[in-house]
Amino acid sequence: MSVPEMTGAASSFAAPSARPPETFFKAQERNRRATWRMSALCVFAAFLMGIPLTLVLSPFLYAVTMAAAEVVNHFSPLPPEFWQISSDLARLAVRVADAVFNQRGVVSPQELIIAAVLIFLPGIALALMLWTGMLLLFRHGGVGGTLASLNAREPNPQDLKELQVADTVQEMAIAAGLPAPKVMLIDSPGANAAAIGTCAADAHIVLCRRLLDDLNREQLQALVGHLVASVGNGDLRIAFTVTSVFETCGLIVTLINAPFGRQSRSTLWRIVRYSLRRGTGAAQSADAEQVAELLADTLDMNSSDIDRFFNSSNPGVIRKALRLMFFPFLFTNLAVELTLWFFLNLLLGPCMALLWRTRRYLADAGAVELTRNPDALESALQSLSDDSATVAGGSWASHLFVVNPGGDRSLGGDSASTEQQRKFLQAWHATANPGVTAAAHNSPSLPGAAVEFARVRQEMMSTAMAAATGNAEATVRLQAFAQAMGVDPALVHELPNINDLMLAQRGDRAALARVRMQRQSRQRQQGETQRGQTGLQTVSFVSFHPPLAKRAKRLQRMGAHLIDPSRRHSGLGGKIVLAILYLILGPLLLTCGVLMLFVIAMMIGLNLLCLGLWLALIHWLFAVDWASVIAGFTKFVQDVAAALSQRR
Amino acid sequence: MDFTPMLIAIAVVVVLASWFVLHAYNRLVRMRNNVRNAWADVDVQLTLRHDLVPNLVESVKGYMSHERQTLEAVAQARSAAMNAGADLVTRAAAEMALGSAVGNLFLTAERYPDLKASQNFLLLQEQLTTTENRIAFARQHYNEMVRQFNTLIAEFPWNLMAAQFGYTPEKLFAASPQDRATVQMAS
Repeated sequence: MSVPEMTGAASSFAAPSARPPETFFKAQERNRRATWRMSALCVFAAFLMGIPLTLVLSPFLYAVTMAAAEVVNHFSPLPPEFWQISSDLARLAVRVADAVFNQRGVVSPQELIIAAVLIFLPGIALALMLWTGMLLLFRHGGVGGTLASLNAREPNPQDLKELQVADTVQEMAIAAGLPAPKVMLIDSPGANAAAIGTCAADAHIVLCRRLLDDLNREQLQALVGHLVASVGNGDLRIAFTVTSVFETCGLIVTLINAPFGRQSRSTLWRIVRYSLRRGTGAAQSADAEQVAELLADTLDMNSSDIDRFFNSSNPGVIRKALRLMFFPFLFTNLAVELTLWFFLNLLLGPCMALLWRTRRYLADAGAVELTRNPDALESALQSLSDDSATVAGGSWASHLFVVNPGGDRSLGGDSASTEQQRKFLQAWHATANPGVTAAAHNSPSLPGAAVEFARVRQEMMSTAMAAATGNAEATVRLQAFAQAMGVDPALVHELPNINDLMLAQRGDRAALARVRMQRQSRQRQQGETQRGQTGLQTVSFVSFHPPLAKRAKRLQRMGAHLIDPSRRHSGLGGKIVLAILYLILGPLLLTCGVLMLFVIAMMIGLNLLCLGLWLALIHWLFAVDWASVIAGFTKFVQDVAAALSQRR
Repeated sequence: MDFTPMLIAIAVVVVLASWFVLHAYNRLVRMRNNVRNAWADVDVQLTLRHDLVPNLVESVKGYMSHERQTLEAVAQARSAAMNAGADLVTRAAAEMALGSAVGNLFLTAERYPDLKASQNFLLLQEQLTTTENRIAFARQHYNEMVRQFNTLIAEFPWNLMAAQFGYTPEKLFAASPQDRATVQMAS
């Protein structure tokens, strides 16, 4: 009767989500435990990365100290105990190295411990000091800089929807029992939201204005609930710690580069200025933002100051001399950059990304707890997935957004946007030749439709500019186009405001400026999306954002209903192919990794060698009695001259 | 006989026990204060609604002169809620009744298009909607805190202390199905 049918239907629904349902409390507990595991993994990864880093930095620090000691000794002699102790320690280190690497001689455990402390302590101490310094310095940096670069504004209490979103944030804060974060809005073509701040007391929730039009109140509530839950869970602190680790790595590279290049020196100067400046929040946070961006940039393996210094063609004599004097710095810099690149991208970066993902899942479960409505969050995520989510100026903080700003179509289909694109293209071509009807341009999803769409959008923007500066034809075309599109909410933000155009035509400067700014931001945004992701995402090949499909699956376990059971069911065949690919690629990648480790070890050895040579050179320079050498040389020249004149 | 190991063991046990008692006492105090603060939040939102209702009645009176029954029902429900007293159950019932009366009023207002176009009315409607939501969420948070507190004083080591210091289970601010309808009325 109906029972077999029901079980049939139930089993077909049960197949995609095979795991048992769970309450959001359970989900939260599970994710918190996962956070502890991931944190332990991150600490372990940082420790692993620290070993080669220390092996490079410690000899470097010792060499610089000894060189400075030689220079100082030349002018005012240092006490002999200093030289005695340093030579004793050096001999001890050589003995321990002999015993460890060549199995020659016997070393007592205390000597081993002393040698280990000698080798590892300076590097670790330096790294920890820098990290603590960054934490203290930027803890009170504030968010003004990020908000300014995003062009965020306060919500307008006259606008009903903006009032509603401000109320929604208050409601969610009450549900969570937290003080309400401040709300800011961004006028951007993309649709995304983020929680920004250095700690829960300083939290700001930033939403794109477009979200207010695209989502209904329930979905908006779920999204805001996600952000408030993540603020309440302390995610802002975690994000701050994560970025501070990366910034410390950037700072180490900057410090080594400092004697060589203007860029590093200006970064250091900015840091000093920021730490000494006590006062106005806006300027301070703008500084903090710039420093953060600069430090993150230094982690790219592009040309750094040292490379420019050493590789510039046609150097002057002074530069050649300086190059000779400071040649080990090049190797140190290379070794540090190589180590950082390898370990950050392959080890620490992915661990941090995995940690961040568990926090996202935790915030999702928190949103369900606050709203008691998992369907709302799922439909909000789906509607965000169908939309473009890029926000201009937010690339540095991309990991703080709810949805991946690079776009994530894993949840929705592309049917909606191609439909819109087709309508867009049709209407535009129709307005081009007023005589031709729309029926003649009946091209459905073209293969090059996306490119065509971008080109048409450019054309439209230039038409808008022409209309703003007084071109009557362009204005007529735009008006016809707006009429043809009807009141399509998604595309209202693609077009410049017709009112603004009218005003600009009559000479209103403010309106002209607005149209120009919109065009510029559109161009800048295109440039950014072409460049790909930027900011923190570049140091990890694992994305900081969990795929929307996985989030939807977890929401379904918490009680959301399936949107479309027949969607994206990768069959068994696909899984087998993936498994074979991993089996083949796995050993290859492993060998590559081991080779990289060898290269890094070689660089460390080279670094030691160069530093040793450099020290010897400096010692020779200062130890030799130049006065007598010059006297001897002059005497030699005089003798030769005398002998020559005698012969004559 | 050497008493030292036994004395050390007793000292360790005493230290551990007193550390536990301290920790448990602080936890109980914190939980109960959570409940008290959550209730204060609920109270604030309920009072806000009491203050908004007369504005609402005033602003619609001009347009809806024939709906005297609905308007009177709202006024009566409001005075009943304000005089409901301290008992949680009767207060909850009275506040639910006020919520549904206000919901009725908005439902009736749908039939007056010039009222819906008035900006004043829209703002007021938004204010009342958000107040309803805030009451709902504050109540949800309060019930959550009460549940945590009640669970804590029922569990084993803490129930001994709770009995000692006089902590009794708190009452939930009960939700009826009627109230769900009120919350989802306007969005």
